[in-house]
This record gives sequence, C-alpha cells and structure tokens, in this order.
Amino acid sequence: MSGGEAWRGDIQARLDARVRERGYDSLTAFAEARPAVPLHALADELGNDVAAVQVLSGLLAEAEQRQEVTRFVRDVLARMLSQGLSDGWPAVLDDANRFKVAKALGAWSAYTPETHEERAQRVGDALLANPPPAGWRPLGPDDALLRRLLPDDEP
Amino acid sequence: MRADALLLAMALLTTGCASVTQPSGPFAGSDARQRLWRHAGPRDDATLAGPGNGAGAVGGGERNAALTRQAILESIDETKGSLEDIQSTLSKLRERAPVFNGRRLGSGVFTRYLDHGAGQVTWMRGALGSATTLTGVASEVGDAGLQWGLLRMTGPRLQAAMFGTLLLATWVDFLQLSDALLRECPMCSDEKVFADLHRVQTLMEPTLSDLSALDTERVEAAALEVPQLMGKLSREFNAIHANARSAMEQGGKVGVAAQVLEMPAMLSTLKLTTPRPPASAPATLGEGLVMSAGGVMAGSRIVVSAEWVEMMRRLVQAGVLSIPVVSAAVRIHGGQVLMAQAPRDLPGDVREALGDSPEVRGMHVTNKAKAGMPEAPKHHVLPKEHREWFEQRGFTGDLDIDQFCVRLEQAHHEAIHGGGNWRLGRTWPGEWNQLVMRALRNAELRAGRMLTSREVLEIVAERMTDYRVPMNFSSGRGP
Repeated sequence: MSGGEAWRGDIQARLDARVRERGYDSLTAFAEARPAVPLHALADELGNDVAAVQVLSGLLAEAEQRQEVTRFVRDVLARMLSQGLSDGWPAVLDDANRFKVAKALGAWSAYTPETHEERAQRVGDALLANPPPAGWRPLGPDDALLRRLLPDDEP
Repeated sequence: MRADALLLAMALLTTGCASVTQPSGPFAGSDARQRLWRHAGPRDDATLAGPGNGAGAVGGGERNAALTRQAILESIDETKGSLEDIQSTLSKLRERAPVFNGRRLGSGVFTRYLDHGAGQVTWMRGALGSATTLTGVASEVGDAGLQWGLLRMTGPRLQAAMFGTLLLATWVDFLQLSDALLRECPMCSDEKVFADLHRVQTLMEPTLSDLSALDTERVEAAALEVPQLMGKLSREFNAIHANARSAMEQGGKVGVAAQVLEMPAMLSTLKLTTPRPPASAPATLGEGLVMSAGGVMAGSRIVVSAEWVEMMRRLVQAGVLSIPVVSAAVRIHGGQVLMAQAPRDLPGDVREALGDSPEVRGMHVTNKAKAGMPEAPKHHVLPKEHREWFEQRGFTGDLDIDQFCVRLEQAHHEAIHGGGNWRLGRTWPGEWNQLVMRALRNAELRAGRMLTSREVLEIVAERMTDYRVPMNFSSGRGP
C-alpha cells in the first residue's frame, strides 16, 4: 500500500524472475508481446512490487546491450501516446487536446535517455508542425511514421 | 462514566433531535451544535466500492468520487452553518445591553473571551475554505488516483473545523452561562466569572491550537482527545452552574436562580440530561450492533442517523477521515454511554458499520502505527528548489507545494532520487526532481503556454504512479 515494496530487495532479480515466470527470456520479449501498452500496465502485470520506471530502465538496459536504443525510444513513445491519447491523434488540436499531446510528449522526453534527447525534441516538433492523420495510433516501434521520424541509425 | 458525565447526545445528534431541543431563545449555541451533525434528506443509495488503493476504482469510480465530494461538501456546509450560528451568538452577546448593574460579557475585561471565540471562527473558516478549494480542484482532474489524493487532503482541514466548531460551540455555552451570571447573579463576582472562563479557555487551548495547526498528525491526535476534553468541560460547566445556584440560593434568590439557571438557553448541550431516543427516531446505529458487542452496551443505544453513518463511511473509505477520528465523533454523539468505553475503540461491529476494515485502515496515512512501521519522513513531490516555478503556476495558498508532501521510506526516497542500483539502463538517470521538471517543462513547451496547477498535478500524478509513490498527500516542510 505504501508503494515501498517496489523499492525493497533486489530489483533486477525480481524483474528477471517475474519475466521468466511469465515465460519470457527477457524483459524486451515480455514487452514486445504487449506493444503500445502503457508502462504502468506492464509493471502491474509483473506485480504490485514492480514500478513502471523499473521496467523502463530494464528495457533500456537490454536495448543498450543490443544496440537498439532508438527502437526502444520509439517503443516508449508508442506506449506514452496510447496512454495519453486513447482515441489516437486528435482531429482538432484545441486547447484540451493540445494539452493531452503535450503531456504525452513531455513524459516521453523525460523518459528518453540522454543520448536521444535532442532527437526526441525534433520528433516532437515534427509531430506538431505536421500533425499525423486524426486517429493515428502507433501500434509499436515499427510504426511507419515513427520509423520515418526516428529511423534506426545505431552505430 | 458516571451519571453526571456530559451528554451531548441530544443536541448533537440528528435531524430527529430537533424536537428535543429547546425553543429558540436569545441564544443560538445549541442550534449550532445540532446543525454540526445534522443531515437532512435521504442520501442516494450508493454502492460502497471503495476507492481502492488510491489508483482509483474502475466503473463506478467516478460516481463514487462524486459522492465522496458531495459528502465532503455537505460536511463543509454544515460546519459553516454551525460557525455562522456561533458567530451570530457571539455578536448578540457582544451587543446585549446590560440589565441593571451594568455588568455583562460584552464589555470591559470580558470582551477578550468574546474575541477569543471570534478568533477561532477565523481559522475554522479558513480551513473550510481550503477544503472547499481542494474539493474543487479534485473535481477537475482526470487522474482518479490524484482525485482521491486531493480529496484525502481535505481530511485534516475538515476534521479540524468539525472538532473545532464543536469546542467553539461549547465555549459559547460557557459564555452564555457567564453572561447570565453577570447580569442576574449579584453574588457571582467578576473575578470568579473571569477566572472560571480563564480556566476553561486554558483547558481548551492545547487542543484548539493543535487543531488550528491543520497538520495531519496533530489534528488527528487532537481530535482523539476531544471526547475526554468534553468530559472535563462538562464537569466544569456543571460545577460553575452548581456554584452559582448555591450562591444565589444562599443570597435568598431561590426564585431568581431557578429562572436564570433553568432558562431554556441554559439547557445547552452540556446540560446534564438522560439520553432519550429522538422523537422522529432516525435509523440507529443501534441495538443490533451494540448489543452484539458482548452486551457491553446493553440497555443503551448509540443514536446517530443512517445518513450520518453513510457520510462517515464514505469519508472513511476515501481515507478523508480515519476510523479513530470518526470513533471520537461517535463517542461525542453517543454521549455518556460511549464515553465510558475504552478511550479509543468502539465495539468492532460499530466500527464495521462505519466502514472500518484492515484495507481502509491501511489506506489512511496516519495509521502507520498499526502497520508497525516507524513514521517515514515526508518529502516534497513538487521539487522545492523550483518553488517559484510552481508559484507562478498557481501553487500558492491552499495549493502551496508544502501541501503536497508524501511519506516515503528511506530506501524508496533514496531510490527515486538516484540512489540504489535499480537503474539498469546507463543513459537514463531517472532522478525524480530532474525527471518531473523535464516532463513539466517539455509539456509546457509543447502546449505553447504556461500549464495550470491542475495540469501540473496531472502530469506529476502520472509520474507518481510510475514510481509507485502513494498519493497520500500531507503538508510538510521537510526535505
């Protein structure tokens, strides 16, 4: 209830164990099977003692190892957009909708690793300057528009 | 407790009690107290799905939140109404012309006691205003967890005002008695009346001062002391009353004594009476429940209205009020019978009827003693090194960032501030303050305008969810 459970014990070991219990050999595989599902929902599925930011950090660690950080960044954006814009990209960017978009993009850039911060800013600028079609809802990191805005260019 | 213990039951109880009270005289104190707990009109029958662990219930969650808001607003309104009555009584006391000897409460050294009452009214109004503001903000936010968090923030304010108003109404009773003595009892010296009031004021002082601090823990502790304090106050009242009577009778004023001391206004809430069921008996939290509690309460009933129980249950489930505090209120409601019970606890069935459950207990932040945990330190959710930034976005007064503190265990606190080894990815620091400010500043940039306080809270609430920071806000100035 206090939320403190998620921060006791060996966090990495707990994440690994929960993922394995669910039949996946990596956190990435677990998450890939749940594309565009918000991070907090992934955490809830792994247990009340798992926090969304721990899942985020674990996914990033695996992406760093595989040199797929850009893909990870796209993946997180898809999750943030589906969390914040349940009906997809709004048809009209009135004040209320603009705030929803701003909240989702703001959170995404806060969750973006330092290496990708500038690129994330440019993606946000591009989305607002040339809005995607109404109802656009990227279903994962392989969404065509996302890939165009943030192509893989891992060294 | 003994037969001479105070009885608030009649005047405190419910709508049904209206017929028991005295005809309206020049004084309004008793009315004020009745109103404090009165609930007119049937309440919507609501499903009692609780708000869950603060993350918000699904389905009926919104309706549930709306009902909780309504319960809070009703409590606020009633307490406000009581305060208005008290204020009007205070003005009447101030303005009443002297009778024959020129003595009255509204002049000379005694005015300080009227001023004391007026001063209390001021902070209680402030607390209620603040609770109203928070309820309003809660109604505007989309995030369910945040909404419950904001509603729970009204708890200490509401509690302080409710119990403060009760004490203040009692203070007004003493003032009325003193005014009557000054006017009608030549044998009652100024010095004696002055000293009596001073003693009563001193008795109330620590509790009132804790209540007026509006700090979660202090308010709760003070509220729990109120039933006992009311017992002491009733003994004071009875002693002053008895002394005056005997002085007047010795002075050969038997007839006057009867007139003065038995006049309707003196039959105040502190007057010794025997509990009677209200005429239009409201549903009782009654025999069934109480009798089953090992027969302890045999022959007596706790009489409170079904509406009141429902309102309290809702507020307890939402975590706005704690069970111990509601128990204190019930014990005051129930008068002497319940005062005789163990100082803190109501019979289990009564607690159950009020919505007590391990779940609910665990939800209330101030109940960590029961969880067997030491009190975790408080931390600002909105980084205080950016206080000015928040102030510019409306975080002042009731929404000051000091109002948004949460208790976190050391490990939790260190982890979210960049400690521990949980950050598996190297290139994302995940430090709370930086992260929150990045999310806020970026959102503002994208919105193309300054965020409102509501929007800031929504963004922060999402991050709190992601860090599993509980949305149990309390005020604090800690780190």
